[in-house]
Amino acid sequence: MRNPTLLAFVFVAPAMSVLLLILGWPLVSAIILSLQDVRSVGSPGAWIGLDNYAKLLADPSLWRATGMSIAWVAANAVLQTALAMIAALVLSQNFPGVRIARTWIILTWIVPTVVVVIIWRWLFSTSGGMINPLIVQSGLSARPIGFFSTPWMAFATLVFINSWRWFPFVTLMLLAGMTRIPGDLYEAARIDGASAWKRFSRITWPLLKPTLGVLSVVGTLLSFNVFDIIWLMTAGGPAGGTRTLPVLIYETAFKGYRLSEAATMSVIATVLLLTFALLTVRSLDRQEERE
Amino acid sequence: MRRSLGLNILLAIAGIFLLVLVVLPFWWVFSSSFKLPQEIISRTPTFFPHSFTVQHYAGLLTRSAYATYVVNSLIVAIASTLITLLLAVPAAYAFFRLEFPGRQALYRIILLAYAFPSIVILIPLFGMFAKLGIIDTLPALIGVNVAFALPFSIWMLRSFLASVPREIEEAAVIDGAPPTVILRRIMIPLIAPGIASVAIFAFISSWTEYVFASVLIISDAKRTVPVGFSGIIGQYQIDWGLLLAGAGLAVLPVIILFAFVGRWFVSGLTEGAVK
Amino acid sequence: MAQLKLQNIRKSFGTTEVIRNVNLAFDSGEFIVFVGPSGCGKSTLLRMIAGLEQVTEGAILIDGEDVTRADPSRRGIAMVFQSYALYPHMTVEENMGFGLEMAGVAKPERSKLVRQAAEVLKLEPYLSRKPKALSGGQRQRVAIGRAIVRNPKIFLFDEPLSNLDAELRVRMRLEIAKLHTDLGATMVYVTHDQVEAMTLATRIVVLNGGIVEQVGAPIELYENPDNLFVAGFIGSPRMNFLSARVIGRDGDGRALLTVPQLGLEGLAINPRDRDRELPKDVLLGIRPEHFRADAFEGSMAVSLRCEVFERLGNVSYLYSDIDRAEGIVAELRSQQSVRIGERASLWLKPADCFLFDPTGPRL
Repeated sequence: MRNPTLLAFVFVAPAMSVLLLILGWPLVSAIILSLQDVRSVGSPGAWIGLDNYAKLLADPSLWRATGMSIAWVAANAVLQTALAMIAALVLSQNFPGVRIARTWIILTWIVPTVVVVIIWRWLFSTSGGMINPLIVQSGLSARPIGFFSTPWMAFATLVFINSWRWFPFVTLMLLAGMTRIPGDLYEAARIDGASAWKRFSRITWPLLKPTLGVLSVVGTLLSFNVFDIIWLMTAGGPAGGTRTLPVLIYETAFKGYRLSEAATMSVIATVLLLTFALLTVRSLDRQEERE
Repeated sequence: MRRSLGLNILLAIAGIFLLVLVVLPFWWVFSSSFKLPQEIISRTPTFFPHSFTVQHYAGLLTRSAYATYVVNSLIVAIASTLITLLLAVPAAYAFFRLEFPGRQALYRIILLAYAFPSIVILIPLFGMFAKLGIIDTLPALIGVNVAFALPFSIWMLRSFLASVPREIEEAAVIDGAPPTVILRRIMIPLIAPGIASVAIFAFISSWTEYVFASVLIISDAKRTVPVGFSGIIGQYQIDWGLLLAGAGLAVLPVIILFAFVGRWFVSGLTEGAVK
Repeated sequence: MAQLKLQNIRKSFGTTEVIRNVNLAFDSGEFIVFVGPSGCGKSTLLRMIAGLEQVTEGAILIDGEDVTRADPSRRGIAMVFQSYALYPHMTVEENMGFGLEMAGVAKPERSKLVRQAAEVLKLEPYLSRKPKALSGGQRQRVAIGRAIVRNPKIFLFDEPLSNLDAELRVRMRLEIAKLHTDLGATMVYVTHDQVEAMTLATRIVVLNGGIVEQVGAPIELYENPDNLFVAGFIGSPRMNFLSARVIGRDGDGRALLTVPQLGLEGLAINPRDRDRELPKDVLLGIRPEHFRADAFEGSMAVSLRCEVFERLGNVSYLYSDIDRAEGIVAELRSQQSVRIGERASLWLKPADCFLFDPTGPRL
């Protein structure tokens, strides 16, 4: 009998080599870097063991950035889930043009980040743009609103923009989960006289829980690691109002020329994320077993 | 199923809300890119352009290396897509069908690739590529894109393979087909929609990738669209017309691609997500 | 056309043993049917013969050659699946020729062989169609054609008719029977339908919980079951099993029984093994079709209270004692109709009755 292990090796090796080379090895390097004292790229660094970790774990700015990242993840999760739920419910109905809508809802996800940045920087700008003139004209506010003027405003605006960008992806995942709910359940519920809200809260929502579970893990990981949109729109500002952990890491490495510290922060972030992922997956598995 | 009037109204409101949310920003940007500068910054926003000019687009194409950026992006995106497929399809089949030690563990490790911030590897990777002398080359960028697309692609393809009835594979085994033939002649044709979805995903991820493209590519001649673009943002801070035109051009290739193959991508995501 | 031997076959999935020590030997040209309830292991056994499933212990020999570890394609078998398993993206001709293509047969020769098989199955007009353009029965024929083309030593069928509607099932059953007669090939067929088993098989293997309950010709299983399971599995409607007590033996060694449910005293039954000692409490087996409407020499009379009466036109079924664990069904061929609540007078021939130990074996 042909050796399946050898064949499997041939099939898997190319992909594994790429992953090990481009993701695996740098990850190990980063861990090594975190144990050294390297300042800028290419410069040698002394071996200092866990000093970086000790220093950074006590550094308030690290925890502030981590806290901000957590807030970022939570706010995005809420807004994206809400938008995606609405969109998924609309797109699961039958109406003329629904198929086109299902294809193009993803529009905001497939455009490059820079385009997203330009669009919203222009729309939200205080001189010109579209939204402020509308607000001023309609009388909602006497003066244009500075959407990026204060740390809180900037954070909120960015959450909105990031959610705008990502919610269609979540929508498609939810739609996938919804198509697996048998239509008979809804029909039986209708016969039983259940209102639309009841049908949603008693059938759709509970049966989507597994999908939402998976999404919460994947979504959290993806949200946490969002870097480009924050960097291009506000560069972490104003006054560090949007300085999430990835932003801090980037700044430390390329603006602060403290590579090893940046690597240390990255490792800490990775450990946090992995712990979160493992714990959530395990609790989800246990929940499923219970049901 | 007939819907009540109340539900229909609610549906319509939600639908219009979504339409406005998703489409309006693009419309604004696109339509304004054709407006004269005065109209763009006027205090009264206009829904339909009152003026028409192509000066912004002309300016963009002549003053910047935009065309080069598009070519570079295309090369990188197409190459990344093809290589990703070439690597992911056999790997997905192996994880799915072939028995080998460490299969489960390896599969989980691959999926965990998304668990760490990509920033983590940015620095060491730059160092590694610098030593190999491949900084500022397109192949380096292609390699990175492939690495990032592989885990999701393998996952997607595996679940598509799982949806092919087992008996068809068994019939092929009885017919005497070796695994490579089964993969090539039977499985791949049957998961064509899945392959299309993965291809589109890989293409779009590559096209929109910014962080690594900005770090690994230095010379303007090799820049890709997202990076070349943010350069333009930096240069022409307040020339909105130019920026809007640039946004339009950056979006156009993706929209054209999606107009042709978007259908498959969406159906792939929605159907393929059957673990 | 080959002999098939299964020696000491065991199969476990993890810690669960699904096949326990099966030993079978079949001659060339036989039509063997594996029959049994869901989960009895019949499909697993078939798949092990095919090579799709590995044996945990034991040996499989085809024509004397040990194929236990051989690839499915090297065993000289061909399989027809329950869902036909046709390649959806290939035409009928390509489907049927795929096995030959894998074996390296050149195109012109392939076409010829495929055409020959297509002729036998009347599939010529469909050769360039894809499976989705065919009806269920046609697809099944393509699946059979794919098997014929390979000229295998043994044909394997895995519940091939389960996906067809009732009428089509009867027609395809006849086609398969005719195929066997025409080709004279060794065929192993799995089904849960005992009608298919009875009509197609030269010998039936009744499986239950991973062990072979009995092997034999259909009529032998019907007339001479070895245990309760086989007696209850073969024959439709199912044999009636009634509690009885042995009160003694008569001069000819026959067991004398009291059957309270039928109100019978002194029913004399010949046990299979006269010398064996009989337990006090036994089960009496009597098939529904063995209740006669008229008395005859040597018959014993019973009276059944009709609780449900089903009239099918050519045959009627009378149900009695349905609330009890041991209900009674009687099949009536006469035109008489019995009203609910009425008592029907029926007659039994003692020689038609079977005696079973309550734990299973035939007495």
